[in-house]
Amino acid sequence: MTKQYRSREGEATAVDTKTQLTTLGSETAPGPLLVPAGMTKLAAAIVAASANYAAATGSSGLVRLEGPGLPAGPEVLAATAEGSNVATGGAHTSRAVIIPLDVPVTTSQEILIFGEMVGTDVGQMSFGVTLVFSS
Amino acid sequence: MTKTLTLEGDLGTVDARTAITTQGSVVAPSLVTPAAAKKIDRIVCACAPDGLAVGSGVFFLRLGGSAVQRGEQTIMVSSAGVIAVQAGSDAAPNVNFPIIIENADIDVSGGDTIAVSAEMAGSDLGTGHIVVTLIFA
Repeated sequence: MTKQYRSREGEATAVDTKTQLTTLGSETAPGPLLVPAGMTKLAAAIVAASANYAAATGSSGLVRLEGPGLPAGPEVLAATAEGSNVATGGAHTSRAVIIPLDVPVTTSQEILIFGEMVGTDVGQMSFGVTLVFSS
Repeated sequence: MTKTLTLEGDLGTVDARTAITTQGSVVAPSLVTPAAAKKIDRIVCACAPDGLAVGSGVFFLRLGGSAVQRGEQTIMVSSAGVIAVQAGSDAAPNVNFPIIIENADIDVSGGDTIAVSAEMAGSDLGTGHIVVTLIFA
């Protein structure tokens, strides 16, 4: 079995607002994320998400996958849940999580990735998502 | 039989591709894949910032070079947030235990050069420190 890894990242800065992840670090316009040739399913998603806690509150985050590359329709994934009782200090680091999936995909079609901060507005939530395709 | 390649480095600038080429006291480890390698079977990676700047961001790997048969693969490994830069005994450390990706199944050619790089994306959180082990099979 062969796998291919495709990623996007971005920031959600408003609560309950779907924000498309369109960049990849130094690649500010990597273009559409297309299902690689020969790949038949989405085998996993690797999700990294963290907030900056500019507001002393809590929030959770989710990832939405949409687009013509997903013939069975959109998928929504839990990404993170975080909270802070102060907005004046502190820091954290989280490892990315691997979410096993078995979702059919359509070769050469686009998958749109969105991050969404939900609950209350903590300021900014960064999302990084890797789609793991397999044959 | 498996064979490992471990590399580490620092990510000093946000949204900048940084080659990861050193291994502590070994400043120039070989970047040639094992002769019998057919794939990267597992990936072990940890990355955390020093938190000397405020914001939130993510860290990801880029695996490329002529050894990676299907082109560059990009893989998220961690994320971080910093509320405010602290000093003294109030300062909190950032710790990131490694993510382990089993059955990575990335096709490689043996005896060829692999290029490992990484990036910090989102906010500039100071300097990111990354260590990665590729396990070839």
